[in-house]
Amino acid sequence: MSSTVETGKDKLTVAREMLGNLVDRRVLTALEVCVRCGICTESCHYYQSNPKTEHTPYYRAEMVRRLYRRFFDPMGRAFPRWVGVKESTNEILSKLAEIAFASCTLCHRCTFACPFGVETAEIMRIMRSIATATDNAPEMLVELANAAIAKEENAELFRDIYRDQVKELEKEVQDRLGSSKARIPVEEKGARMLYVPLAGAHTIIPQAILFNAAKESWTLGMFESSNYAVFLADDIKSKRITGRVIKEAQKLNTEEIIVTECGHGYTTMRWEAPKWFGQLPFRVRSILEVVDEYVREGRIHLDSSKNGQPTTYHDSCNLGRKGGIFDEPRRVIRAAVKDFREMTPNRLESYCCGAGSGLVAEPEWMDIRMQAGKLKAEQVQHTGASLVITSCDNCRQQIGDLSEHYGLNVEASSVSELAVKALA
Amino acid sequence: MSILQMVPAGIALVGAVIFVVGVVYILVAAQRRPYLSELAPIKRSPGLGVVYAFTLGMAPWAKESARRHWIAYIRGIIIHVGIFVAAAFLIASPWLAQMVLPLRISLAALFGVGAVLGMAGFRIRLADPTMRLLSTPDDYFSLALVTLFLASGAASAIKPDFLPAFWAISGITLAYAPFGKIKHFIYFAYERVFIGLFFGRRGVLEWTHE
Repeated sequence: MSSTVETGKDKLTVAREMLGNLVDRRVLTALEVCVRCGICTESCHYYQSNPKTEHTPYYRAEMVRRLYRRFFDPMGRAFPRWVGVKESTNEILSKLAEIAFASCTLCHRCTFACPFGVETAEIMRIMRSIATATDNAPEMLVELANAAIAKEENAELFRDIYRDQVKELEKEVQDRLGSSKARIPVEEKGARMLYVPLAGAHTIIPQAILFNAAKESWTLGMFESSNYAVFLADDIKSKRITGRVIKEAQKLNTEEIIVTECGHGYTTMRWEAPKWFGQLPFRVRSILEVVDEYVREGRIHLDSSKNGQPTTYHDSCNLGRKGGIFDEPRRVIRAAVKDFREMTPNRLESYCCGAGSGLVAEPEWMDIRMQAGKLKAEQVQHTGASLVITSCDNCRQQIGDLSEHYGLNVEASSVSELAVKALA
Repeated sequence: MSILQMVPAGIALVGAVIFVVGVVYILVAAQRRPYLSELAPIKRSPGLGVVYAFTLGMAPWAKESARRHWIAYIRGIIIHVGIFVAAAFLIASPWLAQMVLPLRISLAALFGVGAVLGMAGFRIRLADPTMRLLSTPDDYFSLALVTLFLASGAASAIKPDFLPAFWAISGITLAYAPFGKIKHFIYFAYERVFIGLFFGRRGVLEWTHE
């Protein structure tokens, strides 16, 4: 994706061209089918937490529709006011960049509230693309995406440091399992699984304990699962960042890529990557599916008496509503705790934590995401749980921050960490 | 056929031609847009997802919004059933005299209720500040057209003297449909298919709801 700076075109021209190119049949349908009935209003966590017009899904999408009608709809071109185009295109554009990044977490919840199934999140994704190409995207997300690409370009600089750090983590795993044979292999050719963590020990140590306990053939690579270009809806950079892991898996000749508890990382690798690379020569699964399989097959044994505190589960939008992973974490949690309590609503109708789609990465948006997460905080409180399990690192950080902000006094943890605590 | 009947009948026919051409144009234009097929291995059947999207996925208990706003849900169902039946009635209307009275009364009742609920749409749109802000002249005009379409259908089902008015209003409604908001009906099936395929293959759609 080229930015306006690179192309020398004005923002309006870039927006028009991109809107023309990016609106495929699915997005066209989402743009045209809405009748502005407003029934989606309460489905949005932004609106529920702060009820105002700008927080309704149909307001957000309507802003993009106005831009689209102004450029492409015969009626909109001939009689813009008749179809609601009141503002100038420049005014709409500047509003939209903020709406697309800070007022919608692309959670897709409103899609299931709409009688037609309008995919407002897909419309917002197009808008993020346009904002990115017109240099209106949040700087932090751009920097993080660029850093991931730079890491691949300079992998040799990091390799030895990374291996040394992993050796230190390996000692912790050995201590925990009481076995000097426990290992954290790095770039080991022929391993059955390439496990892709995040850039933190909390996404390596628990999983390494579980892999060792299950006697799995696995290895770490050099790269992590997070892909900030996905939040920018920048397909070129997203493909490049995802491609790092795919190249690794091919080089190491693994049979599977296992993505850590990371919502967008899983969805991108499992569902989006084949659009860019064609069908992948290996299976892609979430660590949740793997741990669930270990429990069901008896490769690890969990003792629920080790976790007595009331526990609830937050469905990550990417893993649940966009990835179909609802049952797997619940089966593991039920095997690992004595007192499991569902939030209401949950699963398909679960509310976003308020930090999805990159919001958690931008420090300036702390107030926005604390407000957007108010509903989730209330849900957690209603369960009476003191432990909140979530399968996405963004959600986990948000639940922790919400706990502090709203005085919930809950601990946020992951499915893998919970399973490790329950290991018999 | 008198001149008072021929002119409205002509309007209806011209409207129908514009409607068909407009719908075909929209469908061709939509088909020309690219469609990115998902290539990832499926988790569950996309075909079953489409079946779900057109059946249980539209059931009131499957949608939080319908559970919360069940009156709006029922209103929408009645208006849309009324419009589709009224469209069939329009085609059959030259043979109105051959329809039995109980059928005509039933149709009039359906169209009449639909028209009243259509009129209620103006109140709903104007009463809610967000809806008022986002509603366009096209929204009000389209709502007025379908309300008149249903009202004139109800009147003519009872009293055939109203048929010319029904034909004229139908012609205008049909001619406008491909240009304004009414065209959403063309995209409805597309949207349900996309929802079914996309979320179905990912194993997201839940056949039972807790």
